[in-house]
Amino acid sequence: MQDSYAIELLNITKNFPGVLANDDVTLQVKKGQIHALVGENGAGKTTLMNILYGLIHPDSGQIRVDGRDVSIRSPRDAIGSGLGMVHQHFMLVPSYTTTQNIFLGNEINRLMIVDQKQAEREVQEISEKYNLLVNPKAVVRDLPVGVQQRVEILKVLQRGANTIVLDEPTAVLTPQECDELFVIVRSLVADGKTVIIITHKLSEVKAISDCVTVLRRGKVIGTVLTKDVSKEELASMMVGSNLPSTGERKKLDPGEFILKTKDLVVRDKFNTDVVRGVSLSVHQGEIVTIAGVEGNGQMEFVEAVTGLRKVFAGRAFVCDQDITNLSPDKVRQCGLAHVPGDRIATGTNVKASIADNLIAGRHRQLPFSTRGWINSKEKQKFSQDLVDRYKIKTPSLDVRAKTLSGGNLQKVVAAREMSFDTPLLVVVQPTRGLDIASTGFIHEILLEMRNCNKAILLVSTELDEVFELSDRILVMYEGEIVGEFTPENVTREELGLYMAGVKRQSRAESES
Amino acid sequence: MSVKKRLQDVFEQTGSLRRAIVSILLAMVIGALIVYLQGDNPLVAYTALFRSAFGSRASVFQTLANSTPLIVTGIAAAITFRTGVVNLGVEGQLYMGGLAAALVGVYLEGVPSFLHVFLALLAGCVVSFIWAAPFQWLRVQFGANELVTTTLSNYVAILLTTYLVAYPFMKPGAPLAMTKNVLPSAYLPRLVSQGRLNLGFIIGAVLCVFVWYVINRSSLGFEFRMIGANKRFSHYVGIRVKRMQVLAMGLSGAAAGLAGAIEVLGTQHRFIQNISPGYGWVGVLVALMASNNPIAVLPVGILFGALKTGGLGMEAATNVPSELSDVLQAIIILFFAANVVFPSLRKESVLKKKHAEIAHPEEV
Repeated sequence: MQDSYAIELLNITKNFPGVLANDDVTLQVKKGQIHALVGENGAGKTTLMNILYGLIHPDSGQIRVDGRDVSIRSPRDAIGSGLGMVHQHFMLVPSYTTTQNIFLGNEINRLMIVDQKQAEREVQEISEKYNLLVNPKAVVRDLPVGVQQRVEILKVLQRGANTIVLDEPTAVLTPQECDELFVIVRSLVADGKTVIIITHKLSEVKAISDCVTVLRRGKVIGTVLTKDVSKEELASMMVGSNLPSTGERKKLDPGEFILKTKDLVVRDKFNTDVVRGVSLSVHQGEIVTIAGVEGNGQMEFVEAVTGLRKVFAGRAFVCDQDITNLSPDKVRQCGLAHVPGDRIATGTNVKASIADNLIAGRHRQLPFSTRGWINSKEKQKFSQDLVDRYKIKTPSLDVRAKTLSGGNLQKVVAAREMSFDTPLLVVVQPTRGLDIASTGFIHEILLEMRNCNKAILLVSTELDEVFELSDRILVMYEGEIVGEFTPENVTREELGLYMAGVKRQSRAESES
Repeated sequence: MSVKKRLQDVFEQTGSLRRAIVSILLAMVIGALIVYLQGDNPLVAYTALFRSAFGSRASVFQTLANSTPLIVTGIAAAITFRTGVVNLGVEGQLYMGGLAAALVGVYLEGVPSFLHVFLALLAGCVVSFIWAAPFQWLRVQFGANELVTTTLSNYVAILLTTYLVAYPFMKPGAPLAMTKNVLPSAYLPRLVSQGRLNLGFIIGAVLCVFVWYVINRSSLGFEFRMIGANKRFSHYVGIRVKRMQVLAMGLSGAAAGLAGAIEVLGTQHRFIQNISPGYGWVGVLVALMASNNPIAVLPVGILFGALKTGGLGMEAATNVPSELSDVLQAIIILFFAANVVFPSLRKESVLKKKHAEIAHPEEV
């Protein structure tokens, strides 16, 4: 029955430079249901929802609301079609009251004067109707996060939304607040609303949703009824895929440790611990992988080790030197190179030329710089050499980096960082969004570096990559290492359970 | 489609120049309308304006003289903008540098002329460097927005220098707050026998080329460009972003101070209260319109200098007041900043069209 769908996204394709964020994605959400959209970060969930909400325009595809074709060009259109979105990061004015926030841009006017009393009465009404208890007069700044989220939901309801999208709604909530949220979501559905929940927490999917759609690398892997599928099956749908194997692995005895962290704690800007006491070491000739679903503290851990983020407690050492809270240039001097997960904002300067990107970091060293002046002959020679060696496809060395595809951009980052020839390489998601060939190429280089006795710390969410490259696998969940394995003594499914937080080793177990 | 795409590329590459030309033409049209509504003949007014700015050798020299402080302050602003820093204290830094140069020019005696000039210019640069840099330090250390602090610093600098020349360093018996005249050995040599055109213009022109060269060919400039384009990347590859930004602010201040020093040593021959009618602010606009390209600062500075020279001449020759120049300048900047030209070739609208194709495939 066509008309029983509240929202239909048909054959949506969206290509960002270098990344196919949505590849022929079709999502159909039945009226009055709770539909979960799961997948790792970067799988395309948020892109898809932003398309639905009119923040991004798809390259192709069709959106239907209640069976009618609609053209959603802006959030205003989306709101007009009865859509509401509660973003992961709340969009509230902290110094305004609950009511002022809910009616922001939509104030009730009486003779040009905002009728605050009336607005407060309406807030009271909706909040009682849906069990969304808030104080209409409270200032948002003073409210706990869970209540701020209710304000967001109220805002959406006040604007007449029939379908509500919740983007990672539990990411910032305590377990108790989560339970309260689920009660609210159920009461919304009982009233005939439709809810889409974006998440990567599988236990929540099981707890609340009627139906699940799994996205991976921009594609729909499948849509299933929640009751027909186990958490384990969902985990393998989220992370599994097959890649051709590449490279050979020399037998090496692990040498001395190059990177060591001791009880490292990192806080995010909301002052919550996102890395909670991680101790690990990486030795010469070894690839140690931190596996895990993204958003479990891996990024913060790496940033802390590489000097991009403050360490709150604990210490980190590179080649026996204490690098805790040193700046990136000092950390690099100790012998670290870093391929960051975010190649566009951090790994490259897309506004600068390929050559400038390749010599960055060396621009004060001989022979690239003599007495403060850049030696452009040496610069061209060095860059050309890297472009040839890493098979970077570019019309010239002088074009801006932003003209390159994602795979080639990644090769630029890899070429620069690996050419530093440091004892330690920290590599985050090196193959995200890359095609099979580029992925194989990057894997080959990483194995080659390992065979040259380098120490490599890899962060990956792709299980295939994890199994292909690792000498040791550490699983990170909610800021902690919950398991340590070698690729031989663990199965893909088992690893998926650790990544999803279903299982964990005790400390003693992981140390044995 | 491919032709259109190629056109887009061309427009993207020559974007600033095209925007500049179209902005100037649009401003002239609106200016003409204003003149017409006022009851004058726009053609006559523009002819007078152009003739007074470029009509004779003397007027060209005058134009170049008027453009000198705009070019140097334009460079000052461009240096910081390239580095992702906003220096809106150029005006005040000009005052500080101007006073420093004047004091060296007045009180340092018995040195050869070239050395005297050099030391006075240097004093202007150094004092303004020291004056400007701490504001960026406050930014990187404590987060005090440099846009605000440098803007406010103008008041401090202008009032402080005015106090200094009104009391401690005031020329006795002068009708206005001013220093004594600088010694003739500290004069910047005039380039022409009549008019105010002096070595300062050459210094400004050389500065444009030099700064361009530093930004594009030196390790320092490399870091400036990288920071300006992507601060996070710069930090990540090991550039000491905070330190470089403080340095950029200092160097920008030094250039602004140089502008003040040139004004004192080349034109006024003393530091006088209200020495600048807002050169620093026009310099910020010059940098904006030159898209922070030091080489482009030169023609843009000359353009604004010509508007000023031409405006005065036009007022003398016709009924149109010289303020029309300021109006034209403002409209040019407005159009340039608003980027209103050729909307159909802008990328966003291409996106919109594409979207329309998707939404209504049968119509396209």
